[in-house]
Amino acid sequence: MGRASIESKEQESVPLGRFGMSEPTIEKIRLYKKKASQTWRLYRKNWMGMLGLVILIFFVAMAVFAPQIVWMLSVVGGWDHAYDPFERVTTTRLVTPPSPEHWLGTDIRGYDILTRVIYGSRVSLEIGLVATLVSMGLGTVVGLLSGFWAGWRDEVLMRITDVFLVLPWLVLMIVLAAVLPGGPSIGKVIFVIGITGWSSTARIVRAQVFSLKERAFIERARAIGATDYYIVRKHIFPNVFPLVFANSILTVALSILSESTLSYIGLGPMPNQVVTWGNMLQDADDGKAILNGLYTWILVPGMCIVFLVLAFTFIGYAMDEIYNPKLRKR
Amino acid sequence: MRNVRRILTRKVLNSLVTILLVLILNFFLFRVMPGNPLQFIVPQNPEIPEEYKEKIIDKYGLDEPLYIQFFTYMSRTIQFDFGDSFIYSGTPAMDYVMSKMVWTLILTGTSSIFMIVIGMFIGIISAWKRGSWFDTGSLSFSLFFYAMPTFWFAMMLIVVFSTGLQWLPSDSALTYGEQLELTWSCFVDLVRHLILPAASLTIGSIAAFSIIMRGSLIDVMTEEYITTARAKGLSEGRVLKDHAVPNAMLPMVALIAIDLAFVVGGAFQTEVVFNYPGIGYATIEATLKQDYPILQAAFFLIAVVVIAANLVADILMVYLDPRVKMG
Repeated sequence: MGRASIESKEQESVPLGRFGMSEPTIEKIRLYKKKASQTWRLYRKNWMGMLGLVILIFFVAMAVFAPQIVWMLSVVGGWDHAYDPFERVTTTRLVTPPSPEHWLGTDIRGYDILTRVIYGSRVSLEIGLVATLVSMGLGTVVGLLSGFWAGWRDEVLMRITDVFLVLPWLVLMIVLAAVLPGGPSIGKVIFVIGITGWSSTARIVRAQVFSLKERAFIERARAIGATDYYIVRKHIFPNVFPLVFANSILTVALSILSESTLSYIGLGPMPNQVVTWGNMLQDADDGKAILNGLYTWILVPGMCIVFLVLAFTFIGYAMDEIYNPKLRKR
Repeated sequence: MRNVRRILTRKVLNSLVTILLVLILNFFLFRVMPGNPLQFIVPQNPEIPEEYKEKIIDKYGLDEPLYIQFFTYMSRTIQFDFGDSFIYSGTPAMDYVMSKMVWTLILTGTSSIFMIVIGMFIGIISAWKRGSWFDTGSLSFSLFFYAMPTFWFAMMLIVVFSTGLQWLPSDSALTYGEQLELTWSCFVDLVRHLILPAASLTIGSIAAFSIIMRGSLIDVMTEEYITTARAKGLSEGRVLKDHAVPNAMLPMVALIAIDLAFVVGGAFQTEVVFNYPGIGYATIEATLKQDYPILQAAFFLIAVVVIAANLVADILMVYLDPRVKMG
C-alpha cells in the first residue's frame, strides 16, 4: 500500500499557523500547488470520483457548447436548420413521436425535445452552482460568527439554524416560492434554494471553529496581538474551507434536485421562457406524455438529471474520502 | 441523574424555542412579505363583495398595528384556528389539513419502516463484507437511486407497472368512490394503491441509511471490545449480532429523525405524482391556488410534527447512549 507514505508526506506539507506572520506569496503558491497535486494523486485512484468527473465534464461541455452541438447534430441528421429551444418546429400536430428530423420527438408546445435537453443543461448547472454558492456563503458566515462569538449570540443563531435544519426543505421552499413577490424566475429559484440549504453548513463550520479555537496556534496568534478579524481570515477560514468545499459538492447535487422538483411542481421558471430539465418534465406531465406514449420526453430529461446529480454525488463522495482522514485510513 | 434532567430540560426548551420561531416565521411570511392576507385574496377574486372584505379585515385585525395582529395570530394558533379554506369555503383549514394527515402518515410510515430495515440490512452486509462486490455494488446502486428526483422515479414506476404491465393503480389512495373502512377488501385496495408510492419513496432513501449504517458498523468493528469478544471465541456471526450491531445502531436513531425532513419532502413529490390525497398534495394544491389558510396550517402542522419527532429522537439518544449522560 503506497497510501501511508503519501499521507505522511501530506501531513508534513500542510501549512500550520505561523504565529500570525505573513509568508512570501511565492512560497504559498508552491505549497498550494504541491497540496493540489497530492490531492489529485489520491483522487485519481478513486474510481467513483473519476467517473463523476467524466460525467460532469460531459455535461459542462454540453452546456457551454449547446448551440454548436445542436448545429452539428443538424448537419449530421440532415435537418433543414439548427433548432432553437423556443422554436415551434412542427406544423400540424404538436406532440410527435421520434423521427429523423426530431430524434426525441416534439413536445406539447411543438418544441424539439433533443434541442431542449441540450440547452436545458445550462440552467440546471447554473441554478445548481449559484444556489450552492449562496447557501455555502450564508452557512459559512453564520457558522464562523456563531463559533467565534459563542455565548448568547451563538445561541440565537443556532436556534434560527435549527428551524431551517429541522423543517423539511421542500416544504419551506414551496411556501417561500409561493409567498415571495414576483413571478417565477431563475433568480427566485436560486434564492429559495439558497436560503433553505445553508443550515447544515453552518453547523459543520461552527463545530470546526469551536475545535480550532482551542488549538495552540490560535492562542499564540492572539498573544502576539492579532485581531479577531485577522485570526478568522488568516487562521480559521483557511482551515474551515476544505470542509466547506467538500460539503458544497454534495450541496450542488441537492440544489439541482431541488430545482427540478420546484420546476416540476410549477414553481420554477416558465417553460416558454427558460428551459430546464425540471420544467420539461412538468410539461411532459401536463402534456400526458405517458398516455401519448412519448416516453423519450420523460426518460431523457430525467436521466440527464440523474446522471448530473450522480456525478456531483460521486465527486463529493470521493472528496469526502480524501479530506476525511478517518475514512481514508480504512 | 441530575445531569440527565438538565440535558432533557435543555432539549425540550430548545424545541419550544424552535416552534416559537416557526410561528413567527409563519406569521411574517404570510403577512408582511406580500403585504397582507387581503392582497392575497383580492387580486384573484376581483369581484369580491365589500362586506366579505370587511370580514377578512376584521378577522385578521388588519386595521390594527402589527404587534396586535401578531397577538391575535398567536392566540388563534394556540387554538389551532387558521381560518377557513379559500377553495373549500366553510372548511376550517386545520380540519382539512388534519384529514389529509392520515394518508401522509400511512405513506411515510410504511416507507420509513421499509427504508430503515432494508437500509440497515444492506449496511450491515456491506460493512461485514467490506470491499466485496456486494459492497461496491450496493453502494453504487443505492447512490444511483439517491440521485434520482423522487417525482421522476415515481413517474417511471407508473410507466412500467401501471401503464405498461397494468399491475397496479397509479391514481389516488383508494379506488374512486371507496371509503376507508375496516374490511379486508378495503385493506387490499389500500395496499394495492400504496405499493407504488411507497416504493418510490423507499428506494430513493435507502442509500442514506445503508451508508451511515456501514460507516458506523465499520467504526464499531475497530473497537477493543470487539477484539475481546473475538478472543473469547465467539463466532463471527455472534460478534456481529450481539456486540457490533447494537452499538452501531446509535447513529441510526439520530438519522431517522433527521431523515424525516427528507421523507416528508419526498412524500410531497410522491403524492403529487400519484394524486395521493395526503398533506403534500393538499399543500401544493393550496400553493398553486394560493389558498393561504391551508398553506399556513399545513406548514405549522408539519413543523410541529417534525420538531416533536426530533425531540423524541434526542431524548432516546440520552437514554440509549450512556456517553451523552456523562458529557
